[in-house]
Amino acid sequence: MLNLFNDIKGKARVFGDDINTDQIIQGRYLTLLDYKAMAEHTFEIVRPDFVEIVEQGDIVVAARNFGSGSSREEAPMVLKQVGISCVIAESFARIFYRNAFNIGLPALIVPEITKHVSEGQELHVDLVQGTVLIDETNMELKGSCVPQRMLDLLTAGGAVAWFKQQIS
Amino acid sequence: MGYTLAEKILAAHTEDGKADAGDIIDAAVDFLMVHEVLGSRIIPVLEEMNFEKVWDPSRVLVVNDHWAPAPNAESALIHMKNREFVREQGIKHFGDVECGICHQVLAEQGLVVPGNLIIGSDSHSTTYGAFNAFSTGLAATDSALILATGRIWLRVPESLRFDVTGNLSRRVMSKDLILSIIKELGTDGANYQSMEFHGPTIDEMTVGSRMTICNMSVEAGAKSCIMPINKQVKDWLGERAREREWTAITPDDEAMYIDRITIDLSEDPIEPMVSLPHSPANGEAVSEIDSIEIDQAFIGSCTNGRFEDLKIAADIVRGKKIHRGVRLVVTPASRDTYLAALREGFIETLIEAGAIVTNSTCGACVGGHLGVLGPGEVCVSSSNRNFRGRMGHPDSLVYLASPATVAASALKGVITDPREV
Ligand code: SF4
Repeated sequence: MLNLFNDIKGKARVFGDDINTDQIIQGRYLTLLDYKAMAEHTFEIVRPDFVEIVEQGDIVVAARNFGSGSSREEAPMVLKQVGISCVIAESFARIFYRNAFNIGLPALIVPEITKHVSEGQELHVDLVQGTVLIDETNMELKGSCVPQRMLDLLTAGGAVAWFKQQIS
Repeated sequence: MGYTLAEKILAAHTEDGKADAGDIIDAAVDFLMVHEVLGSRIIPVLEEMNFEKVWDPSRVLVVNDHWAPAPNAESALIHMKNREFVREQGIKHFGDVECGICHQVLAEQGLVVPGNLIIGSDSHSTTYGAFNAFSTGLAATDSALILATGRIWLRVPESLRFDVTGNLSRRVMSKDLILSIIKELGTDGANYQSMEFHGPTIDEMTVGSRMTICNMSVEAGAKSCIMPINKQVKDWLGERAREREWTAITPDDEAMYIDRITIDLSEDPIEPMVSLPHSPANGEAVSEIDSIEIDQAFIGSCTNGRFEDLKIAADIVRGKKIHRGVRLVVTPASRDTYLAALREGFIETLIEAGAIVTNSTCGACVGGHLGVLGPGEVCVSSSNRNFRGRMGHPDSLVYLASPATVAASALKGVITDPREV
């Protein structure tokens, strides 16, 4: 089961500080019930061409306080929907961090990552060790290991699947 | 060894009575608040869970408030789903589109008392800390799990203690205090932490002013924001939660805080503040900024759409006319607030000065309806978030301020110090 999480590969899509949930998905799209339609507007304000360039497996790399603001679970949901395999940030706002694992999207905290990673670089992520290897420079960055509780949620496939396991 | 307010309240909700900062606990929730996110996101999660019955239909408040009444078919459908859920599950507390903004409605209906653990499907659920409760915002999946089980896992937060003394001077409001604190902390300065407020200034504050501070704590990343009770809270509970029993919670003297911040307003007076686009942490004293022309002035939201906010706005515009070309949109936080302001004549005063008074809704705060901004438009707003695109077009600009500053700015057409009008 673990190898699900100890070699996530993907190209980096790099963002700055304070990307709040309104920047990930604007409040005006929250009445859309279909996540696929909603995901068409992912990062629309900060990077209008994002949904055209993003590829399956890409990794969002961000600086401080990623996902602050509204508690909307739609934020990690649209990232997952467009194919993001993992989000790495220097720090996360607490609700986003929790929501990401709840829906089965891994999130990793790596200090100063945006100093070392540039757009498009291939990354290898190990959630268990909390490490990121940058292919091109062969540099390894060490972040915080993902807490066991969060790995359990991911292993189950998100909080709902985890809940079903608990009751059965 | 002593405990903070957050630790004490959370400990009382665990099976073994333990909750030390950093622990992961499994807690029994007293109350859950959900709004439109129920119809749009929680119900699909519940379906996936094969959910049948709410753990306790008397401990849930459902509110249709973000788009109220529905401005389009999408939000109308979500409201229908909420109504159906309330009917089928026999939910005891329901506020439909006429009642107002969730956080104000929950407090007005006496649904929070000291010592409670309350979760809301909305980040500003920190507001209820003004009533000596631990409350925080989570999203759809966690809300669904609570609806099914009444339980939630939480990491017990470290606490950051504030002791505030001295008076806020004329036309300086608790909004100015919290904007200046967020300026110092930054948008993640209290991330994962509980803010705890003490001191004579907080003890003397109205319920509304206290709610404003707890409401905006989340803009510094806080998980909760808790205050000891005061006379005003006691009176409020006496009126609105008469039949409920509660005990006030105080922290221990030896409680461990991650940091203690002392604010003495008599030594360092706070001026009217404004947060420049696009972050609540971009605070500046209004007196220090260049002249900024506005298109819209907004008084409303769960932060500052309450009775005292409408009162100070009415006092400022009474007998005057707002600046030509400026739209002053006033959205009372709830129907009760609206009625109280109406009886006092504030609504008439505001309309006479040129304001548009809307029904109670989140409305303009979330760029939903009743005051959405166009490209390049500038708004000074009493709400809590000035993120890019929050109130409408991505190229619009939002400045956050107190309702006094918003009202003064509406009169002058530029962002104005309320002490100057
Ligand atoms: S008024 Fe604004 S901040 Fe408050 S609950 Fe409504 S949308 Fe959220």
